[in-house]
Amino acid sequence: MDGRQPIPYMSGSVAVHSIEVTTRDLEGLPDARGDSVRSMLSADFGLDVGAVRVSLGYLVKAEMNQEEAARSVYDLFADPVIEHGSSQGRLLDASEVFPSPPEVAIQVGFKPGVTDNAGQAGLDGLTTLFPHLEGRAQVATTQTYMFWDLPEGTDPSDLASALHNPMIERCAIAGEDDCGAARWPSLEFPDRPPAVFAEPAVVDLEVSDEELEEISETGLLALNLNEMHAIQAHYRDSGVREARESLGLPAAAPTDAELECLAQTWSEHCSHKIFAARINHKDNETGESSTIDSLFKTHIMSPTLDIQKQVDWLLSVFHDNSGVIAWNDDWSLCMKAETHNSPSALDPFGGAITGIVGVNRDILGTGLGARPIANTDVFCFGPPDYAGDLPAGLFHPSRVFRGVHAGVRAGGNESGIPTVNGAMVFDERYIGKPLVYCGTVGIMPRRLADGRESHDKTPEPGDVIYMVGGKVGSDGIHGATFSSLELTEESPSSAVQIGDPITQKKMIDMIIEARDEGLIQVITDNGAGGLSSSVGEMAELTNGAEIDLSVVPLKQPGLSPWEILVSESQERMTVGVRPKDCEAFEALAELHEVEATVIGSFSDSGAFVVRFDNTPVAHIPISFLHDGCPQLQLESEWTPPENEPFSSPNTDAAGMGDVLRRLMARPNVASKEAWVRSYDHEVIAQSVIKPFCGVDHDAPGDAAVIAPLHAGTQGAVISNGIAPRYSDIDAYSMAAACVDEALRNAVCVGVDLDMIAGLDNFCWPDPVESKKTPDGRYKLAQLVRANRAIDEVCRAYRLPCISGKDSMKNDVTMHGEKISVPPTILFSLIGNHKDVRMAVSSDFKHPGDHIYLLGETHQELGASELAYMFRDECSGGIGGEVPRINPERNLTMYRALTSAMSEGLVSSAHDCSDGGLAVALAECCFGSGTGASVDISPLESDCNHLDEWGALFGESMGRILVSVAPEHSNSFVAAMEGNSCCRMGSVEDNDKIMVNYGENEVLQASIGELKKAWQGSLGGDA
Amino acid sequence: MSKPKVAVISGFGINCELETMAAFEMAGASADRVHVNRLVNGESNLEDYQIMAVPGGFSFGDHLGSGRLMGNRLRFGLREQVTEFVKAGKLVIGICNGFQVLVKMGLLPGDAEVSLTQTASLALNDSGHYENRWATLEFDPDSPCIWTRGISRMRVPVRHGEGKFVTDDRTLLDRWAETGQLVARYVDPSTEYPGASDEVLPYPVSPNQSWRNIAGVCDPSGLVFGLMPHPEANHSTWLGATWTREDTEHGEGEGMAIFHNAVEYAASRM
Repeated sequence: MDGRQPIPYMSGSVAVHSIEVTTRDLEGLPDARGDSVRSMLSADFGLDVGAVRVSLGYLVKAEMNQEEAARSVYDLFADPVIEHGSSQGRLLDASEVFPSPPEVAIQVGFKPGVTDNAGQAGLDGLTTLFPHLEGRAQVATTQTYMFWDLPEGTDPSDLASALHNPMIERCAIAGEDDCGAARWPSLEFPDRPPAVFAEPAVVDLEVSDEELEEISETGLLALNLNEMHAIQAHYRDSGVREARESLGLPAAAPTDAELECLAQTWSEHCSHKIFAARINHKDNETGESSTIDSLFKTHIMSPTLDIQKQVDWLLSVFHDNSGVIAWNDDWSLCMKAETHNSPSALDPFGGAITGIVGVNRDILGTGLGARPIANTDVFCFGPPDYAGDLPAGLFHPSRVFRGVHAGVRAGGNESGIPTVNGAMVFDERYIGKPLVYCGTVGIMPRRLADGRESHDKTPEPGDVIYMVGGKVGSDGIHGATFSSLELTEESPSSAVQIGDPITQKKMIDMIIEARDEGLIQVITDNGAGGLSSSVGEMAELTNGAEIDLSVVPLKQPGLSPWEILVSESQERMTVGVRPKDCEAFEALAELHEVEATVIGSFSDSGAFVVRFDNTPVAHIPISFLHDGCPQLQLESEWTPPENEPFSSPNTDAAGMGDVLRRLMARPNVASKEAWVRSYDHEVIAQSVIKPFCGVDHDAPGDAAVIAPLHAGTQGAVISNGIAPRYSDIDAYSMAAACVDEALRNAVCVGVDLDMIAGLDNFCWPDPVESKKTPDGRYKLAQLVRANRAIDEVCRAYRLPCISGKDSMKNDVTMHGEKISVPPTILFSLIGNHKDVRMAVSSDFKHPGDHIYLLGETHQELGASELAYMFRDECSGGIGGEVPRINPERNLTMYRALTSAMSEGLVSSAHDCSDGGLAVALAECCFGSGTGASVDISPLESDCNHLDEWGALFGESMGRILVSVAPEHSNSFVAAMEGNSCCRMGSVEDNDKIMVNYGENEVLQASIGELKKAWQGSLGGDA
Repeated sequence: MSKPKVAVISGFGINCELETMAAFEMAGASADRVHVNRLVNGESNLEDYQIMAVPGGFSFGDHLGSGRLMGNRLRFGLREQVTEFVKAGKLVIGICNGFQVLVKMGLLPGDAEVSLTQTASLALNDSGHYENRWATLEFDPDSPCIWTRGISRMRVPVRHGEGKFVTDDRTLLDRWAETGQLVARYVDPSTEYPGASDEVLPYPVSPNQSWRNIAGVCDPSGLVFGLMPHPEANHSTWLGATWTREDTEHGEGEGMAIFHNAVEYAASRM
């Protein structure tokens, strides 16, 4: 492409002005953008480039004269102090800016139709400068990367593929010859191709079964034959046919919009069919043969409903966008966690940012609207240093990691919601689909000024339906059904979106004000399934709704009715408002510069009715929409897997120290500080126990504690548990470990055990037996066992699940190769903290403090981090005893410990999880800059075949490592009476970890070296 | 005596308004959240306030340079109200994104005429990305700044990606130093007070490699003050980075001193 086209050039009938900006060459002012690219190329691709510079481009499509364009440069696009800007010609041609031409220059910009947040911001700024351009201008952005001193033989197209994702971005490359001849890369304005409007079409279902399946498959409907039959039967019903005829709809067949709407509502993503299925379960170990009528009702809902009879603080469970608990008399808290796995595989940044701002909307859409106050993010990736084969079409795990991290960072930070807690898990089976869990906590007043309880929605027939926030585009069509299918090389790019946190932030500000003024009757977000799902769901509350798609604001004209109905374009809420409040509601929208459009009203007609102006589009009875989907029948069969047993080397104390050092550097154990620091974890000024603690602020915290009411001392505790590798031995233990880890972390900071609530978030490989999934019965049996664990452990801990989510198709097939995630649960916990001033952090405090291990240690090394390390280092397997839970015993200890904390007896507390006691001990030392000396021989009292490997690296559940000041030791031991509480040693004023077994030295290591290993492996440039 | 009134600006991605209001109220003021557009459309007027605060956040997503677009909204939409407010001898603070806004609109380091001419900027951190970590600030005891009177050092979180204070005319730095406008600087907490230096301190003592370790500046009058770190985020002792290691009498946090100074000054003039 020739960069020397005239500026401005014409695009259609409107001129496009091209404005470029780059950092000025001032002493002490690096081009930090260029430097970041340079270090990314070095870290991820081993490519050492001499210099990289970046310039930002703004393509402005507007009736603007040259003078205005010139004025816009330093009044808007460029910083007059530290940047060069130009509206006349390329900066690369200006020798005072770039004295020598680069060897390669690459320009990257979005494809047409992809959300361009910087472009939107530029447009807003342009109309501040030139109000006459309001509604008559467009802005698109580009970045130009320029390279000097490239290593010999660098292929420019390799650079380009490192810098852009062809699914959403375009790029233009100028190689050495082009650059020598001043032919700079130049992308044109990304005009959207006009959409082709199609009148509602009729889909004939009076066809053979094969054709029914084909309709589902080619339409990406993700409906099985049984479900297609149910729909077919509905349109054969004579009553239905009469009703449809009278409305002017095709009598005997669905419209395309109706079929899409049913497919969305009945998708695995939206209706959780596997969790609702009837399962025949066989256990070859015990001989059990039984039938389970819905895992969800039997094992998740039932314990919660039983606990609800005993406590008064469970306000809203399972039916709303998030679960709500009464935190005190005036305020309630709510929490929700979601996954955004498939989109994050295709575009890590876009998928992740959409995930985080999406779950924020679940909070905003809870009750009459809650304010998001904290995020938690948990990611599962392939190993960042993965060197094995990568199926074509997949990104390297380090790129997925970087992109997801950047997406969540932008989404959380720009929304002003602190990321208070999180985790990262690495395993090769996440190379296909990464798991991106995003959770959000919200707060709302118990009662509004008008007396309504804010956790209840109160819609009435006649209430006006508003669509609020963003516009609808062709992006995000088929997200819900797409995520209910496995990922293949044909997966559609339209399922990928990029979230827009600022549009959403404005909307959140506006909605919270509207709530406080009592203007909201009902609210929900537009996520999966778009309007079809949001209006369809709320219509169930009044038993009907009618909307007109022709008034819906569009990003591009010409979208067809079915597309408008199911598009998942982001940053939108659907709100019901009483007719008398509409004026006030619209005034607030105008103040906040938020789009709010009346699209219909709620009714009690019994049907969800959709028109496009006067053309009928859909008429679906509410009962059929929500209850018409036939129950799945599935088969489950458990046979315990066989694993090669764990084997340990012979080594001395120094050798054990080296094992610990290697373990500290494993990505699953290593410090994530370099990444977590770039999340804002303190906005809102409420973070009491932060992600980091210790004298140098670099030791890992356990649970987060926040004090959401400024100057108030009541707190909330937020924690997570995740242990996917235990599934390799038994998914029961995996699930139990997740719940215990979440609670254990919360106990470490002093949670109030009388108010704890959980969220179960399942990510499974497809557990339905089929040709593609021959081991479906085993995977379903794993699901059954995991559910039984959640049921039993949550009952024992009196820890009700208040919300949850499942994602059941985490498989990727690329060119015939299938990669499935290990069965994974994230268990998130929210609890009360009675007084944050008594919260406890994980770092040791003073030399001389006594160290205790609470909880029993068993010889449980199966599927431990140590076992995986030895396996990866080529010795032995991961088999052996996987940690087993004893929740009653654990809870008694947790109660005693939290009570001792509230009396101020405990100096530090840290949970033992990945890597066991040895890793926990090292981390506590990192926080205090001290050493420790301990004796493991007393641990044997709990388990007489315990060896030093099991004692130091086993991952037995229910264990917490605490330190206590000597003057409190007697009171502490008295408080812990009746529980396993083992005095192991003391905090030492030196740099050594010394572990003895009686007189024998078992492990010795330098804290400095352990910390270096721990901080070194994921310390990459964030 | 009636309480000084604070207009805490909100909207378009500002997100620290609630804790900023809380800090002012804890210091004895009465704080209103005022959406920028309420000032533009006349529903609210700065005249009714003694203090204006532009809080932290991500106004307009930090696109086109942090604070730039919000700065333009104020510079073009509220020029008269803002200059009159400053000329009337009232107090202004910009924190983090708010500081970026005041610098980009030319109110800081500013000039006696309140000409709203930009003379400095806040560039990307040398790390190239956003960071949240705690830093220690030291204040110039000879500064005219009302907000920092009597404060020697303070521990506060920084939370930004563009906090490196720079200018294209280095002679200005000397002038601002002389007039006491370079009022807040990052300092190594292990040094004796006073320990502020012009030489850029190593990362992460200086989290962004700001010139002369500048964390915050005031205008020549000392009424307008802006800083990158977040004093309002240290409003209570239990929000500190290492409070669990310290023998603390719980109560107000170190950051409150800034708000007390302003509220006392405003009250004394009512």
